[in-house]
Amino acid sequence: MNFELDDDQRALGDSLARLLADRGAFEQRRALVAGDAWHDAQTWSALAGLGLTALPLPEAHGGFGGGARDLLPVMQAMGRALSLEPYLATVLGATALRLAGTDAQQAQVLPGVAEGGTRLAWAHDEPEGRHAPLWVQAAARPAKDGWRLTGVKSPVAGLGPAQRVVVSARVSGAPGDAAGCALFLVDPAAPGVQARAFRLVDDTAGGELRLDDAPAEPLGDPLDAAVQALAIERTQALGLAAACADMVGAAEAAFALAMEYVRTRKQFGRAIGENQALRHRASQMFVALEMARSMALAAAVAADEPDGEHARADLSRAKLSVGRNARAVAHGAIQLHGGIGMTEEYAVGHSLRRIHVMDQCFGDADAHAARLAALA
Amino acid sequence: MDLTLTTEQRAFRDEVRAFIQARLPDDIRARLRAGHPPRKQDTVTWQRILNERGWAVPHWPRQYGGADLGQVERLILLDEIYRAPAPLPQVFNTNMLGPVLMKFGTPAQCDHFLPRLANLDLWFCQGFSEPGSGSDLASLRTAARREGDHYVVNGQKIWTTTAHLADWVFALVRTDDGARKQEGISFLLIDLKTPGIRIRPIRSIDGDHHLNEVFFDDVRVPVDQLVGQENRGWDCAKFLLANERTGIANVGLCWERLDRAREIAQQTTQAGRPLWDDPKLRAEIAALGAEVRALEITNWRFLLTPAEQARVPAFASVLKLKGTELQQEINALLARLAGPQGLERRDADELAHGPLTPRYFYSRAASIYGGTTEVQNDILAKALVG
Repeated sequence: MNFELDDDQRALGDSLARLLADRGAFEQRRALVAGDAWHDAQTWSALAGLGLTALPLPEAHGGFGGGARDLLPVMQAMGRALSLEPYLATVLGATALRLAGTDAQQAQVLPGVAEGGTRLAWAHDEPEGRHAPLWVQAAARPAKDGWRLTGVKSPVAGLGPAQRVVVSARVSGAPGDAAGCALFLVDPAAPGVQARAFRLVDDTAGGELRLDDAPAEPLGDPLDAAVQALAIERTQALGLAAACADMVGAAEAAFALAMEYVRTRKQFGRAIGENQALRHRASQMFVALEMARSMALAAAVAADEPDGEHARADLSRAKLSVGRNARAVAHGAIQLHGGIGMTEEYAVGHSLRRIHVMDQCFGDADAHAARLAALA
Repeated sequence: MDLTLTTEQRAFRDEVRAFIQARLPDDIRARLRAGHPPRKQDTVTWQRILNERGWAVPHWPRQYGGADLGQVERLILLDEIYRAPAPLPQVFNTNMLGPVLMKFGTPAQCDHFLPRLANLDLWFCQGFSEPGSGSDLASLRTAARREGDHYVVNGQKIWTTTAHLADWVFALVRTDDGARKQEGISFLLIDLKTPGIRIRPIRSIDGDHHLNEVFFDDVRVPVDQLVGQENRGWDCAKFLLANERTGIANVGLCWERLDRAREIAQQTTQAGRPLWDDPKLRAEIAALGAEVRALEITNWRFLLTPAEQARVPAFASVLKLKGTELQQEINALLARLAGPQGLERRDADELAHGPLTPRYFYSRAASIYGGTTEVQNDILAKALVG
């Protein structure tokens, strides 16, 4: 057993944290949200400069072959900085493409992703499915000149800034069936595609994709049910692990702000952090944060080794535990701040907004409790 | 990062599992599985079996009968004992007094006591708390006056777990009144058969007898039963309280009890349907499992990673707080599963459904002993807030 990042992982996390502290400070973030841009193009280039856009891609296509463990410190830093960059969306789109696409398809798209020129999105969730993992109603049909998709995908993280979207759609079976889903590459500007981009409640880029007989390029063989199902499952697992790391980062940020605040804020002539009620809340928040840290680690290991002993259970346990514990930290951090914690111009509440979004993606805490119950 | 055991560690786990499977008496296993606390004879029998392998005191050096096991192997062993379920080695002997003697005791004390502690030939209890000294332990007043080559002890201890089963007590006594309260304390080993000692049972809210008051009335204790220096007993106490972190989270116990909860939910019907059919109950058990897993990884992470210990010097409080919370939640769940059929008050041993309701009542002690939840929160907050 080993619970530490290796030197490369730690160095990358540290470099990213420095970069985001310089380029993504909370004031810059507010200015960005007030404008029209989904994210900051210069920050995105800098991420590519650090090698982050290449991190999870195969070496054959300009990547570093990194896994969920490598993403852990990266996503934690993204969460800590409340980053607006559509990084996870791009990583997941690229991962799905890597897992389902042919070599030629990978060669066509992934080098652009690695260099930072191409942003992707991963469109799997549907409104009707909520947290059901394979409730895919979007239908794929072969036409004379290629495949066509019809259906609705929402929410789609990173839709606004994405040049290409990887979409799951059904070639056979009914919603919820394990088999019958396949992955397709969609140009959001193509005819038949209505991409309605919007901000999510945490100010990150999101959107809704309406497909009406829209042209789509199948990734690999859409009728190879085993490969397609595995690609969806592993992409979702990576997303789950990344969301856990991101939530831990956001909770860390909220916790750090709260500790700083209770040390400096004075009421009744003394620092409020001298009050035992507040001190005990801080202690309980820290315990919750440590639990979340442990489970973000478990999720990363399980996503990298999906055939391991407890992998499936660990993924669900992690999403459940991190979702609840990170949320508890954010609630406590707002409470410790009092009124200022409720204001949009102060950062602490944005951790809660981010954690709520991440909790609702890749299955929420309740959904994973139900999945665990079904496993037992 | 890696959460798996090495091949050697896995082999060790299999070896431990096979040993327990072969040697743990069925009646002991059945009693613990039902939820009973081990009887004294259960603990003695099992500890002596473990002691054949040095596993009663796995962390002790071989020269004193231990197995010199590393931290991972200790955790594996503890986990397997809990999951069997089998009684833990007697904690006052093996985790508290033994290490104190090795650190502060004379060679004669080590040679005499350590083998007896390991084999449970002597059963020690802990005489720390007093009626006026709970969380503020250093305010204790039980006095030991030096008379020639004896100390004469007068005073009272309370909450003394298993004093009625014990042969000896290790006690903190005041040997100097004038000094700062931590500086006049000494650490004495006292034979409970010494004249002047009276033990009075305290029934706890589970209806059972675990706790006692111990009264000392001119009890004469030979000076060679002093551990460490006179008036430096607080050093021993601090060492003792800080030393034992491996078992503080009780992860294996949580897994075993949660597994039992699942079993009961599957075997118990309500209006003709198994309780297990209720998705809310299954989700609750799953959520507890997620938190036990979080505690398990946190436990490993802290105990096996010096960098993590450096980052969070008060990590033992994290483990105690979360471990306590989960034990109590799981015990409360078990009492709900026992339901109305768990309400009949009987002698603990004859309960058909196991003593799950009384065990739930007694589980409330977990956040009181070993440093209350409030004290743990204070310790952690000191590190976090200043």
